Amino acid sequence: MKSNRIIIHTLLFLFFVILSIGITSADIIYSERIDKSDGYQINNYVIQVTNTLYGGEVDPTIEIFQLESDGSYTNLKDYVTRTKDMDNTIYLLFSRGSEKISIETLNYTTSYVIMDITTTGITIEYETAVDGGVSNANYIGEPSLTLTKEVDKTNVKIGDIIRVTIKAKNDGNGIAKRISIDPGITPGFTFKSNIYTTYPTELSIGGSFTQMFIYEIQAASNGTFSLNPATATYSSSVFDDDYSSPSNSPTVTVASEAVETSVIDLEVTADKTKLKRGEEITFTIHVQNPKDVPASTIRIDPIIPGNMTYVSGSEDIDIISEKPVIQESVYGARYEKDYTITLQADEIGSNELIVKLTYNNGVDEIREEVSSGMFYVEEGEYDYLAEYPLYIYVAPVLIIVAIAGWLYWRRSQFRM
Amino acid sequence: MLNVLIIGVGQCGNRILDSINKEAFGGGKFSKYYSRQKFPSRVETIAINTAINDLKEMRYTKAKDRIHIPNLHGLGANRIVGKQCFNENKDMIIRNISERGDFDVAFVISSSSGGTGSSFSPPLIQELKNRYDFPVYSIMVLPFREEGTIYLQNSAFCLKEMRESETDGIILADNQFLKNVGGDIQTAYDGINKMVAERVLFLLEALDSEMMMVTDLGDFKTVMSGGAGFATIGFAKGDNNTAIKTVIHDSLSPSGLLFSSDVYEEGSRAMIILRGDRKYLNIDDISSEIDKLSSHIGHVFKGVIIRNGETPKVLSVLTLETTAELDDLYTLAVEAIHMEKEKRGRMAIRKEADATFSKIDGLEPEY
Ligand SMILES: Nc1nc2c(ncn2[C@@H]2O[C@H](COP(=O)(O)OP(=O)(O)OP(=O)(O)O)[C@@H](O)[C@H]2O)c(=O)[nH]1
Ligand SMILES: [Mg+2]
Repeated sequence: MKSNRIIIHTLLFLFFVILSIGITSADIIYSERIDKSDGYQINNYVIQVTNTLYGGEVDPTIEIFQLESDGSYTNLKDYVTRTKDMDNTIYLLFSRGSEKISIETLNYTTSYVIMDITTTGITIEYETAVDGGVSNANYIGEPSLTLTKEVDKTNVKIGDIIRVTIKAKNDGNGIAKRISIDPGITPGFTFKSNIYTTYPTELSIGGSFTQMFIYEIQAASNGTFSLNPATATYSSSVFDDDYSSPSNSPTVTVASEAVETSVIDLEVTADKTKLKRGEEITFTIHVQNPKDVPASTIRIDPIIPGNMTYVSGSEDIDIISEKPVIQESVYGARYEKDYTITLQADEIGSNELIVKLTYNNGVDEIREEVSSGMFYVEEGEYDYLAEYPLYIYVAPVLIIVAIAGWLYWRRSQFRM
Repeated sequence: MLNVLIIGVGQCGNRILDSINKEAFGGGKFSKYYSRQKFPSRVETIAINTAINDLKEMRYTKAKDRIHIPNLHGLGANRIVGKQCFNENKDMIIRNISERGDFDVAFVISSSSGGTGSSFSPPLIQELKNRYDFPVYSIMVLPFREEGTIYLQNSAFCLKEMRESETDGIILADNQFLKNVGGDIQTAYDGINKMVAERVLFLLEALDSEMMMVTDLGDFKTVMSGGAGFATIGFAKGDNNTAIKTVIHDSLSPSGLLFSSDVYEEGSRAMIILRGDRKYLNIDDISSEIDKLSSHIGHVFKGVIIRNGETPKVLSVLTLETTAELDDLYTLAVEAIHMEKEKRGRMAIRKEADATFSKIDGLEPEY
């Protein structure tokens, strides 16, 4: 009977060989053990051991499913033929178009099946064991990159440097592979330098924008330009197709002359230049935007000298982590405002109130520092008293008390 | 070291006592606050008065040393009431004194003319003599002669009673004699009090000095037991070019004495104490001057207290055999007593007049 078996084996082999003719490649997954009700996913196919008993005997039911993009799946039993030989080896053949999967069991028990899986006409992009079978498998689909192109300024003049940042994000349901970025050159700008070019070549599904490319260009001519979009080309893990996604095209206006920007004039004045320790000094922070362009994201930080204490200030002054801060979103064109801030002198010495200002003038972020000018804290009227060490007070006080006590006692001795 | 008791009775006695305490502090107004009393001996001072205001006026005598005789506010110079009052309160006074330990000598200062001082001091001295062995001397201040008849008669009776007490001697100070020391009465009093105080302190020093050639309490007793029981004290100081002879002489002259006396005529015994830097105290000069005195009167004790750098000072204690001044005072006093009697008589007539008026007592006029 043994020769019989060899013949059948040989015949089957030949059958498969014949079947395989004209097919470029066959992949074999050897001795894969699949537990009962678990599966094995190859691309969007899931081979599942649905059952191991049939009619009370150990006789596994192996099924092949097709995962659909909407999350559902279909049993491909119409494309599957099952045979079982005298040795109880089970053969399963799935065949649909050029795609074929053949399975040969090596061993099976009530709890698992060990099988060889051979695929033909399928490029295996993705394979994995799936716990819980098909219902737990994920559809492997097409990647779709969203690409953005950002510029750090949109109003420049000729010669200005613009920094361009390209970011990408995979909004599809397949892994994006073999990504390459074409930053897209725009006439009217000269490429200056690459700042960041080492981007990932693969992006998994979802997540946030990943920085892909940063480079600087220089505005070479005036006019309003739409920067050419960057393009990402990439491919799927499952499908052989190539994909490409363009980015947006930011608009940059290049002026031949300097661009009109806002300017904030900051002036800090104190109500006095001399004060005594313990006294207060009030500063007026005068801001003015004399231009016709608004300034934005203004932040004013009065830096309180170490030996002064903040006492009070205008309503618009916020106290953030114990420090006064003025924050305004916009100073309109031709705008003026005064803030006051009152400090108390804790120590003698010379001081200045430095006020830091940052704002966006429409083109750039501007940082400035303005000083109130020096002011002098002198000794308070009775300060000199505090400077003596304690015993200087204690001794005379004790002496005075003792003398007073003595005089009182002495006087009472001589009074009737 | 001697234990000395000084009692001031009545306003005059209190004030002289206060002056002694003040001088012992050094004499400054605020001296009591910064200085200690410089008594050479252990000195206890007691002020006694019926008038609490007089006691309150004291400044340099401790409050605990002031005894107020309760329920009486001065005796208005009435010695009869005064003696009665002393008898009622003597136990309390004696108890207070006895609580202060033992004494070697006592002085009782008072005026002879007021109520409290003049009526308390003779019986007080008698009480002390009854109880203790130590000598008790009276320092008696005689009144200004123009102070009136009551003061004169009081003085006469007081001095008499004092002599009859067992006092070991009466040292006289005479306001009348000393009145030229100051302008208004208060300044005069203060000046006289200071003179008395100065002499008492000097005397204590003379009695209690450990130096050689110095008199002691025994000498003083001997001097005081001489004469007719009256004594006075003289004092003088010189500057760096006054001859010691002159200083001694001055202390015996009216400018130095507390009571008017011709010492060469009236003196009985004397004690002369000289104090100052050795360079001023020429022994020959001293001896010749003292010899001159002793050739006129009886024994003269002399003592020398050396004080480096100090200008010479002389204290003389003299007992008197006779005293013309006191005779004069008694003559005045007798006149005064007669005048008082006359007044009394006039009072009696007035009383009769009262009786006349009293006839209509209880009657109402009828119209
Ligand atoms: N030297 C001197 N004499 C005084 C002083 N005060 C009063 N006298 C004299 O003392 C006499 C009056 O006696 P006082 O001591 O005042 O009378 P008193 O003992 O208090 O008696 P009453 O007041 O009557 O209870 C008068 O002759 C005054 O001149 C004083 O401070 N110094
Ligand atoms: Mg009186």
